[in-house]
Amino acid sequence: MGTTASQLGKDLLSEYQELTFLTKQEILLAQKRFTELLTKDEKNLPNTRVPMERILTLPELKSNPFRKRICHVFSTSEQKDGSLTFEDFLDLLSAFSDSATLEIKSHYAFRIFDFDDDGTLDYGDLEKLVNCLTGETDDTRLTTEEMRQLIGNILEESDIDKDGTVNLSEFQHVISRSPDFVSSFKIVL
Amino acid sequence: MFHAEEEVQEDKMEELNPGGLMRLLSEESTQSTLSSDSCEYYQTEIFDQLPSIQAIRPAQANQGGPESGERTSYGALSRDKTSTQPLRNLVMCIQGKRDARDRRKMQRNNIGFWESWRRSQSINAKRIWAQMGGALSSLLPWRRTLHAIEGRFGVGVKSYFIFLRYLICLNLLHCALISGFILGPTAYYGRSKNSVPLRFEDSDSFLDFFLGSGYLDRSPVFFGFYTRGSLDKPCLNTPLLYFSGILTILLLSLIMVVRRTIVGYKHTWMLGKRYSTNVCYKILCGWDFTIHDPSAAALKRSFIRNDLKLFLDEQRFSMRKGQRTLGQKMRLYILRSTLNLIVLALLGGAFFLIYYATIQSQKEDGDNGLVSLLFQYLPPITITFVNLVLPHIFRKISSFEDYSFTTQVNVTLVRSIFLKLASLGIYLFFVFNTEETQQSLLQCRPNRFGREMYKLCIFNFLATFCNAFLLSFPRKLVQECCPTSLLARMSGKQHFLVPFNVLDLVYGQTVSWVGVYYCPLLPLIGTVTMTVTFYIKKFTVLRCCVAEQRTFRASNSSVLFHFMLLLGLFMAAVTLGFNLHQQEVKTKLNTVPCGPFGNGETVFNVTDTCVKSLPRLAQSTLRYLASEAFALPLILAEIIILTSYVSRSRANQRAIERLKDMLVMSSSDKRFLVKEHATILKKKKHNHRAPSATVHENPSSTPAD
Repeated sequence: MGTTASQLGKDLLSEYQELTFLTKQEILLAQKRFTELLTKDEKNLPNTRVPMERILTLPELKSNPFRKRICHVFSTSEQKDGSLTFEDFLDLLSAFSDSATLEIKSHYAFRIFDFDDDGTLDYGDLEKLVNCLTGETDDTRLTTEEMRQLIGNILEESDIDKDGTVNLSEFQHVISRSPDFVSSFKIVL
Repeated sequence: MFHAEEEVQEDKMEELNPGGLMRLLSEESTQSTLSSDSCEYYQTEIFDQLPSIQAIRPAQANQGGPESGERTSYGALSRDKTSTQPLRNLVMCIQGKRDARDRRKMQRNNIGFWESWRRSQSINAKRIWAQMGGALSSLLPWRRTLHAIEGRFGVGVKSYFIFLRYLICLNLLHCALISGFILGPTAYYGRSKNSVPLRFEDSDSFLDFFLGSGYLDRSPVFFGFYTRGSLDKPCLNTPLLYFSGILTILLLSLIMVVRRTIVGYKHTWMLGKRYSTNVCYKILCGWDFTIHDPSAAALKRSFIRNDLKLFLDEQRFSMRKGQRTLGQKMRLYILRSTLNLIVLALLGGAFFLIYYATIQSQKEDGDNGLVSLLFQYLPPITITFVNLVLPHIFRKISSFEDYSFTTQVNVTLVRSIFLKLASLGIYLFFVFNTEETQQSLLQCRPNRFGREMYKLCIFNFLATFCNAFLLSFPRKLVQECCPTSLLARMSGKQHFLVPFNVLDLVYGQTVSWVGVYYCPLLPLIGTVTMTVTFYIKKFTVLRCCVAEQRTFRASNSSVLFHFMLLLGLFMAAVTLGFNLHQQEVKTKLNTVPCGPFGNGETVFNVTDTCVKSLPRLAQSTLRYLASEAFALPLILAEIIILTSYVSRSRANQRAIERLKDMLVMSSSDKRFLVKEHATILKKKKHNHRAPSATVHENPSSTPAD
């Protein structure tokens, strides 16, 4: 079980291929990149958790405004500190890979956007989401008035059952009709 | 905290949406009985126990305690039973997938040998298919390049390169068809004995490769080369093969382009007014996760911000538009019609210029040398020049017309498409209709048309080449060397204008479709030039351009690209058909017979001899299939099928409306029940607390439920 950071066994490799959307080359590349994040002592330990700060130094995540949320969603850590094991890392890459289904991608996207982890996208979540997209500083943010108009528009379009929040099925309903989503929800090493 | 805001915004929603008022009415009546906090029922305790919420959060439920963990695993178990979807499609972490696999294995032991064998077979088959699909998609070239371009310039610019790649594939397919139908038989069976031999003569010069005359005129590049050889059966001869080759190419292109357009159109149609979800896309699908260049990310942020502000502005603009006074409206309409007149005048002037250039180039046919080359290339130069300048003027003009920004872009595009295709059409019309001089009577007529197409194709490529290395690259160099100089500041930053570049591609492909009859090697030339164009454009984009302030949404624009391609194809087919028809009329005049069609044969009667050689029954069947008696029932059947589809879609739409209403109703029911539950809980607590304060000493020990 688990992985020593040095080498992947053949069985483990084929198991990962079965359980994720990644190809053999992609898994090996992921392993190489993950090992680079480890310190010298950690390299010999199995099942090492890499803290979130070090994961965020990856260039693929560095400029992503949702990088912290991504780590939190894919982390299996008990402390909810966003640290990732190698398998969590593979999960992440699998969900963001070329061949992952729309179902998987939209599910994880929903969880990434659900900032307070309460299972729905409410006004606060949407506000944070918009702020992430436009930039967090004061001069890049939308004004309160604009924000209210915008979120009113979003809810009017996507909130089918009119309860003031966007739930998972409403979210997937919107996403499934966006042809661009699958091509843009991608992180390739 | 967001309470008041939410209230206001809900009110606003209803104001904005008078159509949905009826639907909202039912909700409002329930809402009025509830207090305002019913909106936030998702913050109550019972919300966490709803099945839909439990399904979303398996990981957290697992941590919640042994009981809830068991419940989710049962839920997962029942889902496993019904679904045989691959493990990787499950939404869980790897450890969860391992557990699921173990559970499946246990079930497999229970279900018996036959079933388990069948399942494992189906899994293996799926795996093989997936591998084959992966191998096929890895055959598509330039994945890394596209990835790099996407990373720096976003999906919009990438869609241009994907379109270019698609065209290259299309041309490769054409090449295969040409070599199968035309080149192969000619090479194997030879040509007729009195055809001109292919040799490099003294009078030929290097310039011939640009003009398509001399050596090239006698080469397999042009129509005249393919004369009837030893392959001469009634139903299998060179003219028939030539004809069917060209027809297959056009039909296949039609099918492929229509398919691509329809697939894209379905998406856009669904994005259309009825299910308007534009803002949702901007927000929920807004971030391009493929970006990992920090500057590109900053740019993307500013795109999104600008885009949102633009949208909000446009919304307010449309509100303001409703409030325009009559005088303002009049002034605007006068302005718009004047500008449209100017556009028409510009178009007319451009067409006249092309006409003039064509006439000039036809006159000058005598002496050799560079002057002749220049005159020969006069029409393509004029067309390219007009197409280079006018679209930018159109862009400026449309900015005065007080349209919203999106309409501006679309208006410019439509005008440019019109200009591009119409100028090509006019040019072709004049070329096909020019008077026969004494000298040209001695030449092979189709070869002359082929030569014009060849020149257009070559010149289009030369223009791309020069544009990249004589214009964009020096401009960039100047900016890099002395960024403060006047020249650098005047030229400004360079953007990659996707729509105009796509127009170039569509134009080139249209030329290739028109010319393929006269110049069968045009697809091959097209493949080569487009491949080189790919690298040139890649160089231009990565080296010289900065990302644009406004991005194009890939899906919408690619529909537009394919639609333009379709227009080009139609234009090519119409021009070709028209010209062939004209030619048939003119063959009565004494022209030199050349190419596969000789002794009175034309494209229109080439199949006759074949049909006549068939047995009587087949002949009459074919004649019936080609007659009106067959066309009428065919049309009727199509109408019936169409009607049934339309009525089915109407029924579906009504069902969707009803389901939406039901959703709203059941959601308000849910809110009502949660609210009732909460009040009952409160009451219970209250009732308990009153006696417990007197009987028991500690109120904290009240039962939870």
